[in-house]
Amino acid sequence: MSEILEKYKWIGPIIEKMDRDLKRIFMKNFRMRDKNFFPEGDYKADIKNLVNCMLCPNMCRFDCGTLQTSLTETMSPAYKARIGYYLTIGLIDPMKKENQDFINLMYKCTNEENCKIWCPFEFSVVSLLETVREDLNDKNLMPDYCKQQIDKLNNTNTIEEYNIYRTYTEKGIENIETDGNDEVFYYIGCESMKFPEVIKANIEILKKAGIKFSTNLDSKICCGGPAFNIREMETANKFAMKNKELIEATGAKTIISDCPGCILTLSNRYEKLGVKIEKQIIHIVQFFKKLIDDGKLSFKNKIPEEFRKITIHDPCLIARNLKDTESIRFILNRIPDLEIFEPLYNKDYVHCCGWSGTNHWADRDLAIREARNRINELKDTGVNIFISACPLCELGLAYGIDENEKEKYKIMDISELIIRIL
Amino acid sequence: MVYISIAKNYKIFLIILLLYKKILMFMDLKEFELIYKQNRCEIKDKKNIETRLKGIVGKNNISTKKIDLLAYSKDTSLIGFNWTLQGKIAGLPDFITWPETEEQISEILKLANREKIPVIPYGEGSGVVGGAIPVYGGIIIDMKKFNNILEINDKNLTVTAQTGINGMNLERYLNARGYTTGHIPQSLYISSLGGWIAHRAAGQFSTKYGKIEDIILGMEVILPQGKIVKFKTISRASTGPQFDKLFIGCEGTLGIITKATLKIWPYPETRALISYAFPTFEDSLEATRQILRQQIYPAVIRIYDADETFRHFDHIEKAKNKVMVVFVCEGIKSLVNLEKAITMDTCEKNNGVACGEEPVEHWFETRFRVTETSLSPTLKTVFDTIEIEILWDKAADLYHSVITTTKKIKGLIFITAHVSHFYPNGVGFYFSFAGIAPKEKTDLEFYQEVWNTVIKAVEDCGGSFGHHHGVGINRSKWMPVEWGVSFDTIKQIKNLLDPNNILNPGKIYENLWKNGDEK
Ligand SMILES: Cc1cc2nc3c(=O)[nH]c(=O)nc-3n(C[C@H](O)[C@H](O)[C@H](O)COP(=O)(O)OP(=O)(O)OC[C@H]3O[C@@H](n4cnc5c(N)ncnc54)[C@H](O)[C@@H]3O)c2cc1C
Ligand code: SF4
Repeated sequence: MSEILEKYKWIGPIIEKMDRDLKRIFMKNFRMRDKNFFPEGDYKADIKNLVNCMLCPNMCRFDCGTLQTSLTETMSPAYKARIGYYLTIGLIDPMKKENQDFINLMYKCTNEENCKIWCPFEFSVVSLLETVREDLNDKNLMPDYCKQQIDKLNNTNTIEEYNIYRTYTEKGIENIETDGNDEVFYYIGCESMKFPEVIKANIEILKKAGIKFSTNLDSKICCGGPAFNIREMETANKFAMKNKELIEATGAKTIISDCPGCILTLSNRYEKLGVKIEKQIIHIVQFFKKLIDDGKLSFKNKIPEEFRKITIHDPCLIARNLKDTESIRFILNRIPDLEIFEPLYNKDYVHCCGWSGTNHWADRDLAIREARNRINELKDTGVNIFISACPLCELGLAYGIDENEKEKYKIMDISELIIRIL
Repeated sequence: MVYISIAKNYKIFLIILLLYKKILMFMDLKEFELIYKQNRCEIKDKKNIETRLKGIVGKNNISTKKIDLLAYSKDTSLIGFNWTLQGKIAGLPDFITWPETEEQISEILKLANREKIPVIPYGEGSGVVGGAIPVYGGIIIDMKKFNNILEINDKNLTVTAQTGINGMNLERYLNARGYTTGHIPQSLYISSLGGWIAHRAAGQFSTKYGKIEDIILGMEVILPQGKIVKFKTISRASTGPQFDKLFIGCEGTLGIITKATLKIWPYPETRALISYAFPTFEDSLEATRQILRQQIYPAVIRIYDADETFRHFDHIEKAKNKVMVVFVCEGIKSLVNLEKAITMDTCEKNNGVACGEEPVEHWFETRFRVTETSLSPTLKTVFDTIEIEILWDKAADLYHSVITTTKKIKGLIFITAHVSHFYPNGVGFYFSFAGIAPKEKTDLEFYQEVWNTVIKAVEDCGGSFGHHHGVGINRSKWMPVEWGVSFDTIKQIKNLLDPNNILNPGKIYENLWKNGDEK
């Protein structure tokens, strides 16, 4: 914002030179800015920035995942902000059934935040839309597909119809309960529970590196991420408090997770609610990098021939939120004989797997098409193995591969590669 | 008697009902005040047209939903942002279509001709003169699904792409492979290849790489009645009148461009960033004129008048109360070194003071950071830019004339300029203005007054009213002045190709603004 103020410094002398009448009107318009365009009453919508965004020529449009997938103006970032504004001021009445499409638009956004890279205001559109979602919730207008997620969270403490953590035995995942004195707490995401091989690999790697850690799957719950996306703050708050308690009981100083979404929620999002977990909270690849640095993790075996060529898919939350594109590459670069390929859009500029945020509930078909686009970008490297480090990416990308190509292309977590050379 | 009265009342009732139905038919988004509401096309059986469009493009590629109609109700005309904030919409389409093949576009056009329904090609909607606004309603053909890059030919140095592709996505693809088109408008992120061709666009690096008409080597176009025409890709030819060139600048009124082959260049090996501050505007013009006269073509040249120098380069001590000029020379090292030496030498001979690389770096950092459009409407001010062309011998006169006459307009807050495009023979000026409509005028009337004042001054000096944004709605009033008697011939050509006037009506050939008093 200070950059913007600096940018408009030049207006000062122009105002000085204006004739009296014009100056009076201009100054009045300046003073009345908020009154003129801000609605009356209570609302949580970030009107000022929704207006800034809706009056932008859509400068981030070329890199907006939902727009570039749907290929319609309707999905453009500034239009979403515009509808958010109109819903808030009531120009589009959110209470009317016929306006449900407009409400749904508020959820058709991934959390990939490419917009932030290009935006002169450094907005992420989703964070603006989230403020509109809060008002919709207050008016009891939360869409059904969101209600279902909240119900699942409240009923099972996870994002599934059943408590997915309790499936660890049938999936062959070892559960390590804390003795209250752990070095590390391995915080397994609910989405990760859908990939037992990844969890098993991570446990094996941590054990090989001699780390004292726990997983506490008997009491483990979701981080509450979906409630934060939907902005159902009561549920979000409940999960924040409960997780803080469970995490603190482990005694661990470092919390590692295989899910970048969990990291974002446990740190930034909890903090914004006033729930601070006084621990180092990092992604598991960042921890592995440290283990390699400290000489605790090394790769002894040769990489099997079928895994020698891989393409990296950076999870957007690691690349743009944790601002870390280095750890994954650091680890992969230490694997002898591994040939690493990069897609055109990578690192800070990575494109989304389609499965981030609320869009995959609001418009599943669009999410699948976005996944397909990303898969095509990965395929363009000419390699058949795509390496990532996020369960949502692995889930989303899988939707992007056609049935008849499922055998040909493999999506793997970085841990699944590492255990092959330990 | 009673029967007659009932019959009469019934008739009146029917008329009212019909009128109401008609209003409802095109006033779907009743909450929004419609700006262009005169002479809307009358679509008798909308459901039937919808079914037929579905038959052409498939049910997923057409919409009549409110949420989609509203999304296509505007382009990026800057006054449109005031309307957006005030809950008004410029135009309201009846159908949005997203065809995927040339044949589908052709079939839509044939249907539109049969039913006399307007068709409006839509790229990325970044046009600033109303070109893509559906002023009479009708069918939007959104070109976004024509977004494939088809071939790079390294030997010929060409790229062939479908025209719905976003400019930045084309450029990023090329850059990753070691090429550039050199066409870098400020709207690179928000415009399409088709929009560039339709508006005869010009990039910021065009002194070296040329404007879009210098870059396009071949095209495929669908004529208004549905004929698909494939023009050869040629470096140049002497094959009679160059019919294909007619479509560069057609603004979606003579045909829909679906595919184009463009020149590309190896990505520049090096760049030299040069800047000079001059004591007067005239000195800066003279220096740049002499540079071009020596056949030196820096990719970028930009002269900022004293007001704009203050706006953008206040932090540069040597530029205080001066006129800043930035240059970018790029290409192979030896050539860049030569261009740099001659550019610097010429600037110094014309009283320029070297300001180093920092001002140019500042320009690179800020050139895509557009925030003015977000600020101005909230202050109830009207803001816009007008770009025009003039030959060297009248350039300084034109600048002063536009500034002095426009400053007299009641409500004007500022008018400033930079010189953005350069030729050995002339230049393109880029004026920016802001103002507040006085009580007795609407925003649109004030806006029209400024536009018309600027353009009158330009025409009086012998300049051309538009350099690269096109005509659209904003400048159509001036077409007869600009083109003289040949404007009739231009209209005849339009009539020949589009006898039913279905392709993007209301632009170029018609004066929707009347004499600036459109309400
Ligand atoms: C911030 C900003 C900066 C800008 N900077 C520049 C600049 O530096 N240089 C410059 O030249 N312009 C600039 N412009 C203007 C604008 O970007 C251009 O006019 C651009 O060429 C329009 O492209 P578009 O795809 O957005 O077209 P649209 O706005 O969608 O359409 C513009 C016109 O082209 C027609 N059209 C679109 N696609 C086709 C097609 N395939 N076939 C036939 N007709 C078609 C439409 O019907 C309409 O009449 C700028 C605009 C903004 C908002
Ligand atoms: S997020 Fe930023 S760049 Fe994108 S449309 Fe909004 S204001 Fe413009």
